[in-house]
Amino acid sequence: MQTLESLLLGFIGIMIVNNLVFTKFLGTCPYLGVSGRIDTAFGMGCAVTFVVTLAGALTWTLDYLVLIPYGLDVMRYVCYILVIAGAVQLVEMYVRKFFPVLYESFGIFLPLITTNCAILGMCLFINLWGIDNLPEAVVLSVGAGLGFTLAICIMAGIRENLELADVPAALRGAPITLITAGLLTLAFMGFAGMIR
Amino acid sequence: MMIGATGMQTIIFSALLMIVLGLLFSVMLLAASIKLKVETDPKVEQIHAVLPNVDCGACGFAGCASYAKAVAQDPSLIGRCSPGGAATAAKIAAVLNLQISEGGAPKRPIIHCRACQQDKTYYGEYRGIIGCTSANAQPIVQACAFGCLGFGGCVRRCRFNALHIIDGLAVVDYDKCTGCGACVAGCPRGLIEMVPFTQEPMMVVACSSKENGRMTRAMCSVGCIGCGLCAKQTDVFTVKGNLARVDYARYQPSEAAETARQKCPTKAIVFRGKGAPADEKVSKTAAGAPAAS
Amino acid sequence: MAENQTSVGRSFLAGLWDENPVLRLILGMCPTLAVTTSLQAALTMGASVIFVLICSNLVVSAMRNLLKPHLRILMFTLTIAAFVTIADLFLKAYQPEMSAKLGPYIPLIIVNCIIICRAEACASKNGLLVSLADALGMGLGFTGALTVLAVIRELLATGQIVFTFSRSFTLVRLPDVPLFRMAGMAMPVGAFLMLGLMLGLVKLLTTKRT
Repeated sequence: MQTLESLLLGFIGIMIVNNLVFTKFLGTCPYLGVSGRIDTAFGMGCAVTFVVTLAGALTWTLDYLVLIPYGLDVMRYVCYILVIAGAVQLVEMYVRKFFPVLYESFGIFLPLITTNCAILGMCLFINLWGIDNLPEAVVLSVGAGLGFTLAICIMAGIRENLELADVPAALRGAPITLITAGLLTLAFMGFAGMIR
Repeated sequence: MMIGATGMQTIIFSALLMIVLGLLFSVMLLAASIKLKVETDPKVEQIHAVLPNVDCGACGFAGCASYAKAVAQDPSLIGRCSPGGAATAAKIAAVLNLQISEGGAPKRPIIHCRACQQDKTYYGEYRGIIGCTSANAQPIVQACAFGCLGFGGCVRRCRFNALHIIDGLAVVDYDKCTGCGACVAGCPRGLIEMVPFTQEPMMVVACSSKENGRMTRAMCSVGCIGCGLCAKQTDVFTVKGNLARVDYARYQPSEAAETARQKCPTKAIVFRGKGAPADEKVSKTAAGAPAAS
Repeated sequence: MAENQTSVGRSFLAGLWDENPVLRLILGMCPTLAVTTSLQAALTMGASVIFVLICSNLVVSAMRNLLKPHLRILMFTLTIAAFVTIADLFLKAYQPEMSAKLGPYIPLIIVNCIIICRAEACASKNGLLVSLADALGMGLGFTGALTVLAVIRELLATGQIVFTFSRSFTLVRLPDVPLFRMAGMAMPVGAFLMLGLMLGLVKLLTTKRT
């Protein structure tokens, strides 16, 4: 059983020190695509946080209840993706029907991130790091999602200002966004070593 | 590679697991798709069908469904899909054109000005930011405060390379134009109007000058002087505020309309669209003379 | 049939440059950034992607008449997941150090936008031969882009290109000057910056001047 302190350290660790976008390159495609405006970026971040928490919990449970006890490690990737895609699809349909306002704000991002490296990547990392208890898996997932939200909102703020700047024609769009992401990564590197 | 007892067990368990999970999700999704159905706009569905459906987010929207919805409402967003490319943009344009205007005629832009550099009168040389919005903020660049500035504000908006500045005048290439309407917002003088093209080419009064005839003549050799000769021929033309206009609700190519066009003293009535003949040249009146005070 | 030939040839060539997945379509950036720290890793990833692309394109093309609209993406993803599992197991067996280095990025091929995009856009609508050509073209284009980026990054970061199988082979060794010892190039910073500059260069080369 993990102590509260180690959970908190793990949470901060994955949110800032080992940020998914900046250190693990996960979720780069939607990160570049949806970071144009702060409101869409925040919606995207909320959607990612929600999905990664759900996915992390479900895949961890599947792993420890079924895959490991029966020695079905080979089925891991297939089962993970099936569970993630199916669960998110169900949640999306439910939210669309019963919470239309919520759907407009972040539900529209759900199909985009279902088959996205951020979610599957986080689930695989939880497995890779040998996390053996559910609370820690959930806390790490929430931290990862919030880290993504932080990263994408910062990027959106910068990009909104970049719109007014005189970017050379060849660098407009994806190139300057990538360069900005590189500089942000450099900034976040300052957090390395913060948690022993 | 011998499959031992544990190997066989793995295969059986894997198959069982997939069958169980597959059945579970199929049932849940099937139930959900029936119970949780939401009505959608058929136009949006059609657009969604032509998109690559990768949900990559490159367009800046949250996936293909979102983009389909947005582009159905705002056609100037066509061309944002980078995996789909030009082919997808053309398909979206085709879908939207069928529904964009009444009577099924596709809308195309008409620029209400035909003055090239040699037709216009200039008070001085403009040395500011090369852009229509900036030039429009200057009170006197060219004499005519209504005409095309020729700095490409509309050209920049077009994603299909259908607008070009030729001789200081914006010209539409109707072979490339998809009618998305993005150019309209690019003109600070509001010269571009989206008109249903019931035939091609269409007759257009290519002038927007509200000044009286004497002033217009001094500023530009091809401007509409509001003489009303066209309106006398046929009620397709109406003159209001020193400016003639074609009533596109009544427009039909007819002898009267053609006569009216030929009677225009400044040749301000021209054809626009595919197969349009070139504009007639008009010799400059009082070249370079400033307007009388 | 001549028409089939040009279609096959064109599908193949499109993936190499005109519609290069990384440089023009801007898809599949996660592995591009992650594995280009060394040339060997980049080539391994490229080979895996080519394998998965070919297999999944062929299978999807073979079953294209059975696809139901709502379940399409899920069917593609499960097919791809199966082949990625095969590739991952193969790598774990024959190249354990490389597999450990690439870590979770091999299974992340499952959700690589390139593969799903090609399955959706090409394989589900065309015959086996065209799908195969398309997969080869896209895979080679992807590998090419990765190779260029990896060579630049590895040379700038360590000044040499090293292949490690059971022993190490140094292919290229550049002089020991600060230019070729930029540690930042091996880090995420270098990845983002280099890819951004490369995309900018490609855009510069391909934009026609009006």
